[in-house]
Amino acid sequence: MKRRDFIKNMAAGSLILNMNPGLFSQSQNYPDLAVIQGESPSQITKEALSAIGGMSRFISKGDEVLVKPNIGWDRTPEQAACTNPEVVKTIVELCFEAGAKKVKVMDHPCNPARRTYVRSGIAEAAKEAGADVPFPNEHKLKKVPINGQKLKEWEVYRDFLETDKLINVPITKHHSLSRLTLGMKNWLGALGGNRNQLHQSLDYAMVDLAAFFKPVLSLLDAYRILHRNGPQGGRLSDVKLHKTVVAGVDYVAVDRMGAQFMGMSPQELKYLDIAHQRGLGEIDLGKLNIEKRKI
Amino acid sequence: MKKERSKKYRAIQALRVISQILFFSLFFYLLLGTHFPGKDYIGNVEIFFHFDPLLALTTIIAAKAVFVSFVFAAITIVLTFILGRFVCGWVCPLGSIHQFFSFVFKKSKLLKPKKIKNNLPALKYYILVIILIGTVFSLNLVGIMDPLSLLYRSFAVGVMPVLNHTFSNVIGLLYQAEFYSVADPVAQFFTTLDINSLFTQVFFIGLLFLGIAALNIHRERFWCRYLCPLGALLALFSRWNILKLNIDPQKCIECNLCTIHCETQANPFPNHEWKSSECIYCFTCSSICPTNAIRFPLKTMLESIETVNLSRRKLLFTSLAGLVAVPFFRLSPESKRASEKLIRPPGALPEKQFLEKCVKCGECMKVCPTNAIQPALKQAGPEGLWTPMLVPEIGYCEYYCSLCTQVCPTGAIKELTVPEKTQVKIGTSWINKNRCIPWKFGDPCIVCEEHCPVSPKAIKLLNTEVKTPEGEIKTPLAPVIDTELCIGCGICENKCPVVDQPAVYVTSVGESRSEENQLKLDLISGSGGIY
Repeated sequence: MKRRDFIKNMAAGSLILNMNPGLFSQSQNYPDLAVIQGESPSQITKEALSAIGGMSRFISKGDEVLVKPNIGWDRTPEQAACTNPEVVKTIVELCFEAGAKKVKVMDHPCNPARRTYVRSGIAEAAKEAGADVPFPNEHKLKKVPINGQKLKEWEVYRDFLETDKLINVPITKHHSLSRLTLGMKNWLGALGGNRNQLHQSLDYAMVDLAAFFKPVLSLLDAYRILHRNGPQGGRLSDVKLHKTVVAGVDYVAVDRMGAQFMGMSPQELKYLDIAHQRGLGEIDLGKLNIEKRKI
Repeated sequence: MKKERSKKYRAIQALRVISQILFFSLFFYLLLGTHFPGKDYIGNVEIFFHFDPLLALTTIIAAKAVFVSFVFAAITIVLTFILGRFVCGWVCPLGSIHQFFSFVFKKSKLLKPKKIKNNLPALKYYILVIILIGTVFSLNLVGIMDPLSLLYRSFAVGVMPVLNHTFSNVIGLLYQAEFYSVADPVAQFFTTLDINSLFTQVFFIGLLFLGIAALNIHRERFWCRYLCPLGALLALFSRWNILKLNIDPQKCIECNLCTIHCETQANPFPNHEWKSSECIYCFTCSSICPTNAIRFPLKTMLESIETVNLSRRKLLFTSLAGLVAVPFFRLSPESKRASEKLIRPPGALPEKQFLEKCVKCGECMKVCPTNAIQPALKQAGPEGLWTPMLVPEIGYCEYYCSLCTQVCPTGAIKELTVPEKTQVKIGTSWINKNRCIPWKFGDPCIVCEEHCPVSPKAIKLLNTEVKTPEGEIKTPLAPVIDTELCIGCGICENKCPVVDQPAVYVTSVGESRSEENQLKLDLISGSGGIY
């Protein structure tokens, strides 16, 4: 299935859901969010996925999947600036188990990709699981309409446009401008161009991008949390062990949960509010069906 | 008359070509391998330079210090004593390039060898004298003309960027034609080669290299014959070697083919005029001889032999030229006072010692993962031509990387571990409030703060009252620099969204290596710990 068709179907599907919210709620009894805590990053990832219906709920046989972790910085896993490599590896494995034909893992980092891919441990972990780990390649940039509230068009790597399914695997980090960088901020890593200018309207840009890319699944890595000096940290004292992941389809809700871990209310995170007002997802934890477990 | 060319010497010639290809391949392999190796430490990719006795000699004289890695140069000298300048003919990668071009030009009839009687081969000795006199006064000019430095720099800064750009264009065409299955793996492969291709002097250094190669149209191995200072140095050791040309007078028909085709004007015929010091043992003469009259028998006996005629008057004159070169290259404001844009790589020695040791080879420029290190043009004065400096608008110093310190062949950049390197300050960052987006317009930005790699961050954000051009009061988070924490890496300047002239920029002040180029009075700590 082409990505464009997929988006069309999603749009049609959500339209039906909007008109008749109860339509599928009986047949699918999955929680909105799975919040799983445990010692092994791989185990909690698997557990979170199975709690929300297993990878086969999102990935069909023969799909090409692009997994988008945060590989932004020349930092080791202990420094918690990039997504936990074991989490990424587990996601790739689950995609293949669900019948994916091809899985790509990529990001457009801030430091040179050749270093971040290696030092984050993600390239090796993803390759072990059988994924392709392509470097961002300027020849594959394409200016596309984003049609957002603020962001009208931007250069995007074609890998993100020409895949069947997108899975977002961000990490939970402090950030001075957006306050926190979670799932929605992660999409800046799919862009080329002078993306640093987006910071002048970052909250809107993040929401516009999230609405554009619309991942089939978001899995937030909060195994290690970078609680200050983000988004790249440096000292191990900037990192807290939280040993948790959050999985869900509603990417706004997933980010909302991440804010909870960092002790922030949705009012403090403007982009959550914007996303909620645009009807992209839920930010009221009380309205969400959350499965929270420790293993 | 039937030609009776020597099969033996033709075989030796073929061996020579194989040897040249092998050594050039080794050189190129090490050059290609000079990039982030996937781990923190890279190994001896600069080993070629340590076999160069000219670099060894000049660095030792200029820096008045012995540099252990250069013991390999002794091997080259001993071998030259025994075998003559075979290194020039069989090993030197730049020599191989010249031979290749000479071959091409001869085949294409652009170059027609003829018998030459001039004293130009003496020129390289005078060049050597100028370089050596300079080094006595700690002026290290060797890098400009040392063949290995020249070749490495030309490849790292000129040839490789051009090749990379060309391949990139081809890959672009593949993508345009939607040949993804071919383009993707090829593009991936080229990315893993990490070829830095943005250099301020691609054009200049590339053109110089082409010019030097083009000289072969005029004379075979023009560079080796007339200009190479390393060749001149090796020639000084190449008098008592064991292989001496011998022409069998019974067989010789005095056709002069050997002298016409001699690649370095060693003048094989007449026999007594053959110059051992000029011969690079390419064996062209012995294999081209139509009567198989030329041989290179072993001779251990010392004998008086013909050498290049160096006039005493000219030697005196060039020595004076060497003396004059010292102020000529050195009298510039940069030698009196730190230059704001001269940001040296981390681990670079204090400027004076740095210039004594740096041989302008370009290893650091090749290995830098962000392409930050560029050849200086005038920023370090004439003496510092092509020495490395960081240009943050092109690249920045990657925080957890010390590769440039590991590949420097002469220790001009002191070798540092990664933890040591993170302690080095190479400059200080400044905000230009007239151009900074929060300071000027009151809008959010913080890109510099986000990228600042030190923890705690050297760029702080303060809620600041700003009057916009419309007169509106805004209170954005605006960046300020903590100059104590700032290491001058330049990522802030590199990533600043104000593209043409970044609103945050680095200057060299505060660099750990300098005692004078400091901001604040410091009576306690003195200079930085690692120096």
